[in-house]
Amino acid sequence: MPNAQLQQVVLTELAEAVLALDEERAVAAAQKALHEGIDPYVAVQEGLLSGMSRAGKLFEEQEYFVPELLVASDALYAGLNVLRPHIKADAFGVPGKVVIGVVEGDTHDVGKNLVRIILQTKGFEVHDLGRDVAPAKFVDKAVEVGADVIALSTLMTTTMVNMDETVNLLVKRDLRERFKVIVGGSPLSKAYADKIGANAYARDAISAAEVVKKLVQQPIAIAG
Amino acid sequence: MGDNASPKERLTRALRRQPVDRPPVACVGGMMNAAVVDVMTQSGNPLPDAYGDPGRLADLARDVAKLTGFENLALPFCMTLEAELLGSRIDPGTLACEAKIAEEAFPSVRDAKLPELTRIPDGGRAHRVIKAIELTAARRPDAPVVGSLTGPVSTAGSVVDPITFLKELRKERAAAHRVLAQVVEAVALLAEAMVEAGADVIAISDPTATGEILGPRAFEEYGLRYLNELIDRIHRLNRPVIVHICGDVGPVDHLVAQLHAEAISTDAAVSLPRLKAKYPQLVTMGNVSTQVLQNGEPERIAQRVRQLVEEGVDIIAPACGLSTSTPLENIRALTGAVREP
Repeated sequence: MPNAQLQQVVLTELAEAVLALDEERAVAAAQKALHEGIDPYVAVQEGLLSGMSRAGKLFEEQEYFVPELLVASDALYAGLNVLRPHIKADAFGVPGKVVIGVVEGDTHDVGKNLVRIILQTKGFEVHDLGRDVAPAKFVDKAVEVGADVIALSTLMTTTMVNMDETVNLLVKRDLRERFKVIVGGSPLSKAYADKIGANAYARDAISAAEVVKKLVQQPIAIAG
Repeated sequence: MGDNASPKERLTRALRRQPVDRPPVACVGGMMNAAVVDVMTQSGNPLPDAYGDPGRLADLARDVAKLTGFENLALPFCMTLEAELLGSRIDPGTLACEAKIAEEAFPSVRDAKLPELTRIPDGGRAHRVIKAIELTAARRPDAPVVGSLTGPVSTAGSVVDPITFLKELRKERAAAHRVLAQVVEAVALLAEAMVEAGADVIAISDPTATGEILGPRAFEEYGLRYLNELIDRIHRLNRPVIVHICGDVGPVDHLVAQLHAEAISTDAAVSLPRLKAKYPQLVTMGNVSTQVLQNGEPERIAQRVRQLVEEGVDIIAPACGLSTSTPLENIRALTGAVREP
């Protein structure tokens, strides 16, 4: 057991490295944590992830913007790669599984990537289908991995209709009750989400993670 | 000036901050094109087929203006010409879905070797668009022809993997600046060809260069700098420039006011009267919500337009890219409300 003071110094350094967008510093701090015998799970939770959530807070407050958040997540993952092999697989309780992607016709994936990163920092298992994703691909993947939530993103008014089609496909395949659907992207609104029968709408990446958390806590209705 | 100004005079005067009888109503093409499915179907020149022939492109541009009531002609109908010239692979799209980037030419700015273009290569889509501008300008001397461009940051993010590119704006600044300088050269070349073909106005949309995505610091370092370099190049050709900025310009409005463009077009989220009150020198353009255009009632759209005219917005236009499923009737409600006495 390392002494409490040294442990706190290393945890702070892990968080600071992420917040400072510094991959090399995150790797060095992660190695130091292992070297000092700090529980790697604690190093992730109270070090790296605490730094990432502070970066998320700065993003919310418009101190950080998209490039900063993306680079912070690179630092987070660099540290995670060092620590993860030393963590027992079941130490991370997975709060839920999410299939995420940008709908067909749209290749803007900045917002979707932010949502993915923030969900991952909250411990979700995220299956990222990338951009320009056809409705059937969302549905097939959700079935394959036993997802709790399907998250659809678009930045374009021109492709909003493909969200509708994904929901319709779930209905057609009798799967609508099995998955929660959340939609997001700048042209959307709560009204649009309601209109197409999605379970939820999120205004931005930060609130998307909160909404997904709430969705997986709701009991899933069992159809028929 | 009298009521019978030609659309070209009216737009030119508005861009020069000279008095006009009423605001022009425009749709500048590119990302903001009005080739909705209804129009393409009636025109008989649907996309992506029309991209195969300059004559059909020119006919589509003519029919867009004729059917919608927008007072300018605009080309092209997507924002992929620049990236294609620089080596990205393009998916031509479908009737309902405009052309898009299928694969960026480079994974990172670090080893990006952009082709050095000296002219727009024959036989490509960009070349056909230039020919179409030529045909369009010759046919309609009274109507302004707008050549539409994708801005430097958005083009760079279509030539280099966009997520890597955004990270590299922080991590690989020297290489990011090098790529952006090369991108400006290529986009300026396209602008020069458009002007030579007869474009009266150049419009630039740079949806990746927003305050919301980049934040003020990177917007100033990259967005503002390279937009201004491009605008200066177009000004040397004696053509006015309209710049469209997506999203809420709040965090960067002091920088938007430093753009060298003649007019600034914004998204529906922005209060143009407020922007104008803060920066009285700006010529403002916009900003009828494209969501309302798609789903709203014609009367509601007309009301919104009357309000924008009342508030002193200088050029009335949609606020962003139109959905291809936008009903023609709704677009006509927009353009009609500007013209009503």
